[in-house]
Amino acid sequence: MPFYRCLIPKCSLSYGQRERIAVAFTDVHCGISTAPRRFVQVAFLETTATREVADTHGSGMLRYDTPYFIAGGNRAGRSPETKSRILDGLIERFCQIAKVPRDQVSGTITEAPASWTMEAGKILPEPGAEPAEWYD
Amino acid sequence: MIVFDLFLQEGCVAHTLRPTLAASLEAASLAVLGADAGPVEIRWTVIRKGFGFRGGRPSTTSLVRGRIPDGCDPKIRANLLRTIGEAWCRVTGAGEEEVVVSARDWSWSG
Repeated sequence: MPFYRCLIPKCSLSYGQRERIAVAFTDVHCGISTAPRRFVQVAFLETTATREVADTHGSGMLRYDTPYFIAGGNRAGRSPETKSRILDGLIERFCQIAKVPRDQVSGTITEAPASWTMEAGKILPEPGAEPAEWYD
Repeated sequence: MIVFDLFLQEGCVAHTLRPTLAASLEAASLAVLGADAGPVEIRWTVIRKGFGFRGGRPSTTSLVRGRIPDGCDPKIRANLLRTIGEAWCRVTGAGEEEVVVSARDWSWSG
């Protein structure tokens, strides 16, 4: 379910940087939440001049005013503090690996109920209600 | 109205399958939700090779992110997700591990 889209300028990141960011995002997400690593999806999309992207977990468009933007989508049900820790961690690691200043990166995380998503043929459990077999 | 945003990993779903896939998703949606739930719009995003990862490794997983009319009964929504997932796997030949299907309420703000 975690789906992080990184909107980036064309040719701004090498494959190695993208891979390291994807691993770092997985580390951040799974270090704070209880999601299995295999559920964390990260995609890099090279942008045009239009600084907006459709929300994948809410409605409408997400608008931003920085060259780099992280559009995250997660299961609903976590505290605002947890959500903030995840986003802060993602931005921090992104800046380190991409070697860009903090003020060049912004992001947001929107959420949708777990029961509205099916992954690997199963409806997702709510955060904190994951059965043991979910981690197999 | 129903909208599906499809995120495909480059090379994992042949371009020639798109019309069949779109027709299958539309048919599955209207069969489960009723014809009044339509029309169905489908938007495609291809994630370039080397630009998509799952668990920190190159991904072959497609994401189907739908928006459907508000107020869907949980059992009907679960049936919709299952029906779309089955249609996806049947048309593309992907395994169920390789598709994530979601359907959120139209007015859900996130």
